[in-house]
Amino acid sequence: MSSQYQAVQWNRQKRIYDLLLISGVALYLVVFAVVTEHYFPYVTEEILIMRAFGTLAFLLLHLILCIGPLCRLNPKFLCLLYNRRHMGVTCFFLGLIHAVMVVATYHAGGDINPIASIFVTSRLTGSLAGVPFQPFGFFALCILFLMAATSHDFWLSNLTPPIWKTLHMLVYAAYFLLVLHVTFGVLQGEAGLLYSVTMAAGLLTVIALHKAAAWRERRNDRELEGLRGDGFCDACSVDDIPENRARVVCLSGERVAIFKYDGKISAVSNVCQHQNGPLGEGKIVFGCITCPWHGYQYRPETGESPPPFKERVATYDVRVQNGRVFVFPKPKMDGMSAPAILTRQ
Amino acid sequence: MNGPFYIGWQDRADPEIKRFIIRCVLLLFSIGLGFAILLARMQRTIGVSVFEWGTEKKFSGIMKAMPYPHLIVPRPGASGATIGFSTYYLVAPFKHGLDPGSMASLDGRTVDLRGTLIYRGNETMIEAIPDSIKASLRQMEPPAGLENVSLGRQTFDGEILDSKCFFGVMNPGQSVPHRDCAILCISGGIPPVLLVRQKHGRPLYLLLASADNKPVNQQVLDMVAEPVEIRGEVERQGELLILRADPSTYRRLNSRSP
Ligand code: HEM
Ligand code: FES
Repeated sequence: MSSQYQAVQWNRQKRIYDLLLISGVALYLVVFAVVTEHYFPYVTEEILIMRAFGTLAFLLLHLILCIGPLCRLNPKFLCLLYNRRHMGVTCFFLGLIHAVMVVATYHAGGDINPIASIFVTSRLTGSLAGVPFQPFGFFALCILFLMAATSHDFWLSNLTPPIWKTLHMLVYAAYFLLVLHVTFGVLQGEAGLLYSVTMAAGLLTVIALHKAAAWRERRNDRELEGLRGDGFCDACSVDDIPENRARVVCLSGERVAIFKYDGKISAVSNVCQHQNGPLGEGKIVFGCITCPWHGYQYRPETGESPPPFKERVATYDVRVQNGRVFVFPKPKMDGMSAPAILTRQ
Repeated sequence: MNGPFYIGWQDRADPEIKRFIIRCVLLLFSIGLGFAILLARMQRTIGVSVFEWGTEKKFSGIMKAMPYPHLIVPRPGASGATIGFSTYYLVAPFKHGLDPGSMASLDGRTVDLRGTLIYRGNETMIEAIPDSIKASLRQMEPPAGLENVSLGRQTFDGEILDSKCFFGVMNPGQSVPHRDCAILCISGGIPPVLLVRQKHGRPLYLLLASADNKPVNQQVLDMVAEPVEIRGEVERQGELLILRADPSTYRRLNSRSP
């Protein structure tokens, strides 16, 4: 929730989040180094470092990709999503250190430019083991960089949310590139079966969680029918909506969140203006719809964020009759949709 | 959709969520710890090799320029059946070999030089400081057994390595992850070596040379770090094995291809 931009708007939860993130990163790196040094005392430090950072960056990317579907399957995981941005930035820096170590040890000190060397040194030889794997890593790093660099809300509003969202969907491209990077790289050399099994398990986890979440979402996404003569749609029963919570329905292809609070019913677009979080999974807190992702707030009657914030979501006209909620399927961008008052039965 | 609700900007989370977070974090830490141990332990190509980085020593011996510069150092007190000298491959710093032209003029002469030792098993190499290589004032007697012994025509399956990294400068320094580095090293003049793993006993290292005993650095670049089969004349010079074959006859073994 920003009216002005700061580098990071710190709060207690973010501090705890980052502290745990950094501790986890440090723990992994130290343990990887200690175990490697113990079993392979002659290892070259640079390679130890590149492997520790490379594997951790890739592992962290798995976690980043799994948080989204986990939250859709169980909202309690939202605590992991809250500051995921810092996880993404951390992942980029880990990948960067990996890449810098690679360029400094494997590519520098020869006769050609070390960066150019990533692309030209290995030529296609026609065999599977001969596929140059490093350009995949390079392009993945570029994507991670773009995402880290534009992760701030400043860029979100300056690039406009659709462009920003598209840019950040590239994370899947980055992941795909890294799967190739590892498959044609280290899996060809450290040919141990366990390495391949580990990576396959990671890939399967990511895919399975996304499938499960998508399936869950599709089940909720059945388009409403039952249009009445006045154009209103029968959405749900009042009793279907828990107090201070919402029920999400699909109207003319848009998801609409119908909230019940203080004896009233209001409907707003389900899409949070911050990063498209699902408002319908939010809660009314201090009289405001509160987004489950990062806690942006909107007044249910107007769709506006309380001042000084300026975000706004579309609202929908609602009516209640015989214990059922009816919603007019056209969004209103300009504020007021009078809430329907529930009469005590 | 009911139950506790997490709001990041609130100071304290709902107790139920707090418990969940703690369990979540503990689980993630254990997973991370497990992967750190597993992935580190599972590495398979880190061997026993040493680069005495930072320790410069003086060496004296007989320079042999072909097929790649190497130094013959007589062993004091060697007699009878044991080989009376050690062989050190000579390379320059970073990803460079020594300039073959200037070494050719020193061929067969006794030289003094300074450099850093690199070794793996019985294979020894010196990263020499090029300017320190000088013809010595005293001429050493060439040790017995210096002439090449032919071991006939043989076929080997193995992997072409850059000798400098594999013998100690980088560990692990072989196979696909290291390929670009190996290609740069070999194209920079580091002697290419064929690593042949034997079912029993120590691996063999065969220095690759052309049929007429010339360097083959530029011709083998596309074959580095992949399984290859090479058939050629094998010669032994002391402990050094040299495999002489025309690089155009090397065969890529597609064992890892579908
Ligand atoms: C310019 C970019 C990159 C280059 C040139 C590069 C190059 C390499 C090289 C040469 C290896 C083999 C290292 C070895 O084990 O000897 C490797 C392995 C690996 N890379 Fe990258 N990489 C890049 C970016 C990335 C990024 C962004 C990630 C992940 C976020 C990544 C993840 C990995 C992983 C997981 C491995 C296997 C573990 C290892 O061997 O280090 N790489 N990469
Ligand atoms: S608060 Fe970030 S998406 Fe809603």
